[in-house]
Amino acid sequence: MSGVIHWAEEVGDDWARVQAELTRAFEVSRASAQAEESFVYVVRQDDLLGRRGPGNAMVATGLLSAARTAALEGSRKRWTANVVAYDEGTDPEAVQAWARRMLEADDVTGELVRVGAGHIGKTLP
Amino acid sequence: MNGSVVVTGAARGIGRAIAERVASMGPITVIGVDIAPELALSEHLMPVQVDLTSPEGPSVVRETVESAGAPLVGVVNNAGITRDARLVNMTDDDFAAVLEVNLGASYRLATELAPLMSDGGAIVNIASRAYLGNFGQFNYSMSKGGVVGMTRALALSLAPGVRVNAVAPGLISSEMSMGIPEEIREKMVDAIPLDRMGTPEEVADTVWWLLTPLSSYITGEVIVVGGGRSLS
Repeated sequence: MSGVIHWAEEVGDDWARVQAELTRAFEVSRASAQAEESFVYVVRQDDLLGRRGPGNAMVATGLLSAARTAALEGSRKRWTANVVAYDEGTDPEAVQAWARRMLEADDVTGELVRVGAGHIGKTLP
Repeated sequence: MNGSVVVTGAARGIGRAIAERVASMGPITVIGVDIAPELALSEHLMPVQVDLTSPEGPSVVRETVESAGAPLVGVVNNAGITRDARLVNMTDDDFAAVLEVNLGASYRLATELAPLMSDGGAIVNIASRAYLGNFGQFNYSMSKGGVVGMTRALALSLAPGVRVNAVAPGLISSEMSMGIPEEIREKMVDAIPLDRMGTPEEVADTVWWLLTPLSSYITGEVIVVGGGRSLS
């Protein structure tokens, strides 16, 4: 397995921190793409729904959209870009295991895998 | 509806169509951001020229709203730019510029103006169908995805007084889409079930509907105006 797992950082609602986190993700993603390596973003399910404030929401949904676009570009070179979202209280090892699984699954790309049941009945991100 | 509505990026394209649509429904005062006085659309329009990415930009708009003397009933975050490149070739500057204009400026303006909004007011953020992914637009797609998250979070925090929704246009006939080479544009149209580009007025109609009480039970949603392209 080769590739990068990028865990979204907590940013609060300060724009400068949102900008810094999204820029960090961009730099990691570009380096992976240039090396033709896959990457996975890890975010919280609550943030995809905006339930912990706009800062963390902008990061989570921004990363999801970025992964979809990167997946289109990577599909020509056989690297992938995916997102894992987890519910509060989920064992981090379980989340990390799913992220590793997404790195290994080279025929799955642009996908969102949600660990836990918190997304059921909620909007599709 | 009575009061004032702020529309950013109102000088041309979708923003201009939104400003015209809202201004035509007087007695609303439209505060058009980025629009020059000579382009004023009607007696109901107050033009403001300001760099929304500057530290003072949002407060200039707020002061204009306060001087208008009418309750703020709507905000439309429309201003946006593109700087396309494949991810492997994307420069730091192109990434930063798109993020700052499309997401940062929208967020700072929304948070500056939200306290002024009266109950029953509405914010409409212009996202893009690119939030679902679009080749060569890592920066744009990320910024518009961020707009979707911002919309959901503000919908929760400003409820029940103010509704917040997003509109995600697809391929719209505008200055931005005319920059796409013709042969590529034709291929893009071929993939649209309704077999044509949309018009700025069609986006403006959707925005208008979201600003009015006609959509009074809708908040936190993304409405795609894309001719069915998301299915094909």
